Amino acid sequence: MSALGELGSLRGKKPVGQKKDNLAGYLFLAPWLLGLFLITIGPMVASLYLSFTDYNLIQAPKWIGLENFSRMLSDERLHNSLRVTFTYVFVSVPLQLTIALLLAVVLDRGVRGMAFYRSVFYLPSLLGSSVAIAILWRQVFGTTGLLNQVLDVIGIHGKGWISDPSTALGTLVVLNVWTFGSPMVIFLAGLRQIPTMYYEAASVDGAGVLRRFVSITLPLLTPIIFFNLVLQIIHAFQSFTQAFVVSGGSGGPSDSTMFFTLYLYDRGFGNFDMGYASAMAWFLLVIIGVFTAANFFASKYWVFYDD
Amino acid sequence: MRPHIRRTAGRRLRALAAMAVATTLLAASACGGDSGGGGSSAGGGGDVTLRFTWWGGDTRTKLTQQAIDAFQKDHPNIKIKGEFGEWSGYWDKLATKVAANDAPDIIQMDEKYLREYADRGALQDLKKSEGLDTGKFEDDTLKAGEFDGGLYGLNAGINSFAIVANPALFKAAGVAMPDDTTWTWDDYTRIAAELTTKLNGKAFGTGAPGTNEAALNLWARQHGESLWTQDGKVGVSPEQVTAFYQQVLKMRDAKAIPSAEAISQDMNAALDQSAMATGKLAMNWMWSNQLNAMSKAAGTELKLLRVPSVEGKASANGSYYKGSMFWSISSRSKHQKEAVEFVNFLANNTAAGNILLAERGVPPNTEIRSAVTPKLQPADAASAKFIQDIGKELGDPSPAPPVGGGQVEKIIQRYTTEVLFGRQTPDAAAKAFLDEVNGELK
Repeated sequence: MSALGELGSLRGKKPVGQKKDNLAGYLFLAPWLLGLFLITIGPMVASLYLSFTDYNLIQAPKWIGLENFSRMLSDERLHNSLRVTFTYVFVSVPLQLTIALLLAVVLDRGVRGMAFYRSVFYLPSLLGSSVAIAILWRQVFGTTGLLNQVLDVIGIHGKGWISDPSTALGTLVVLNVWTFGSPMVIFLAGLRQIPTMYYEAASVDGAGVLRRFVSITLPLLTPIIFFNLVLQIIHAFQSFTQAFVVSGGSGGPSDSTMFFTLYLYDRGFGNFDMGYASAMAWFLLVIIGVFTAANFFASKYWVFYDD
Repeated sequence: MRPHIRRTAGRRLRALAAMAVATTLLAASACGGDSGGGGSSAGGGGDVTLRFTWWGGDTRTKLTQQAIDAFQKDHPNIKIKGEFGEWSGYWDKLATKVAANDAPDIIQMDEKYLREYADRGALQDLKKSEGLDTGKFEDDTLKAGEFDGGLYGLNAGINSFAIVANPALFKAAGVAMPDDTTWTWDDYTRIAAELTTKLNGKAFGTGAPGTNEAALNLWARQHGESLWTQDGKVGVSPEQVTAFYQQVLKMRDAKAIPSAEAISQDMNAALDQSAMATGKLAMNWMWSNQLNAMSKAAGTELKLLRVPSVEGKASANGSYYKGSMFWSISSRSKHQKEAVEFVNFLANNTAAGNILLAERGVPPNTEIRSAVTPKLQPADAASAKFIQDIGKELGDPSPAPPVGGGQVEKIIQRYTTEVLFGRQTPDAAAKAFLDEVNGELK
């Protein structure tokens, strides 16, 4: 806005120009604004309304008040889907961020060919949530998949990892951890922001590698860690594609990969229960909102802003 | 270069974090914007484009496309656009399209979902459609698509649930083909276990019953019950579901069926990649009309067997004729006349019959059936003969699933997995299965 204001003052007709410039500003915003209202806000309002209705996709929705929400209390498959989702989020996100941070630190130390490694490690992030990779995952962890072939060589007889309820979720966690590239790139950018003089001073004082990492890198990187944490948690809560494709759309075996989002989809489109599915979507929004708020609240105690 | 002093970076980061959070949060509740399906229903110059959707593998798609081509040649003003895919995923897609008011004009429908869609007014009552000729259909076959006084799906083929066997694997194992008119569940289990042993890891004796609901229905019918009742309720008792799962466990312990993982993996596999098609099973449960497609996929001639029974009598094995699939017309189609014309062509035209043959089951139109029978390829001829042979042994028709009954396939798959992995006992799984199915009925 300030740049536009300066432009206006250059022309020398301040009040009118300001208005015109505002209009120009809104015009430039229009494509994004239209998208926001048509693709995001519109459907959101619609889904909020639908969450209070019984809507079977074909006939007009019927108002039923809070019934959808009270039904969630006794829906055991929904409870199971929450368990699965929470396990997924709280196992895969810390693992993913730890690996991302460690690799970023190693790469930041000036490894030769860093640009190459950076691209290689980043690649899975671009592909990770794609259908193609999920299909590949199915093959790798299948009964006769790549993993079992490798295990066979070293004499271990593997099993069907994605078709066993006790390991299926694990393969999805591995898939998510594998996409550590995007937080890693953000970590790398953060590491570059840390002034070298701190390290120089610490070295003069005789601090070793570990000490420098713990006392300088980590504290100065906390805003970035926080940023990545918040983003990846939200991202993990919303995971859908991987579980959908790997389980063939069923969330199976035995609902072991039935993410909340997948169950939402199953209710909405498999069971013609779009009212309930909409209520679930809003419930998920609340869950994510609560976790994000808690994250921001906790950040006061561990995130260090150097300003 | 690293900056030596930075002041605003922290503040900026905080703002960035807040913004990123806001945008991702917003995206959470508005999942999936409409991709904007372009309904190209009204072409220029009086031409009409009809959309026609079906599920099925390669074989079916090729034959159906040939039939479409033949129709278009006779009706230059009508274009048919095919939309097809595998069974898994078909129903999600159809539901989405119907919800978006973008339903295809002609829909290949399954018994499981017929009521679901018809009850909600999504399907045209074909009795009111002018020009649809059902004169050559046997009464029974028409009834399968009829309820509440309307005809919502026109039978596209007759099939029956059966055992499919791979004679090459029987031969390799040195096991004789069973006499399917007298075999019991115990015979079936014993023979399958023997196959597993003699094939020595190359393949297993049989796939498990319970990867869809049809085997449970047969089991129930053999015990004087039935999966669904005439008035649209669940008709099978917890005791019989328990007994069914005990049978499954008996087969698992005898190694008649593959490992739980292999079975659960096979549940959602496409026909062409299924364990039966890739030669990993000597027998499996299958709908009879799939014999041709499965034989092609397996690259060897497969054989249909009657399902085993409790008493060892084919007439008591609970088998029934089912409408393998139905032709339905969307009630919202803007081109009812042309859609009816096309369905008429599929059901009653000899040229269409000669192309489609018995891939969707034995033609219910008796005239087409007799015209087509001599032309059937070996596999189709065998399944048509099978359908004819069991005709004398059949019991009552099986009541169609009520609204909400379409979910039963996914539900039984889940509990079969639970039982096979030993995570639930047969009686616990039986009770939970019935609770859940009852909960889905509307």
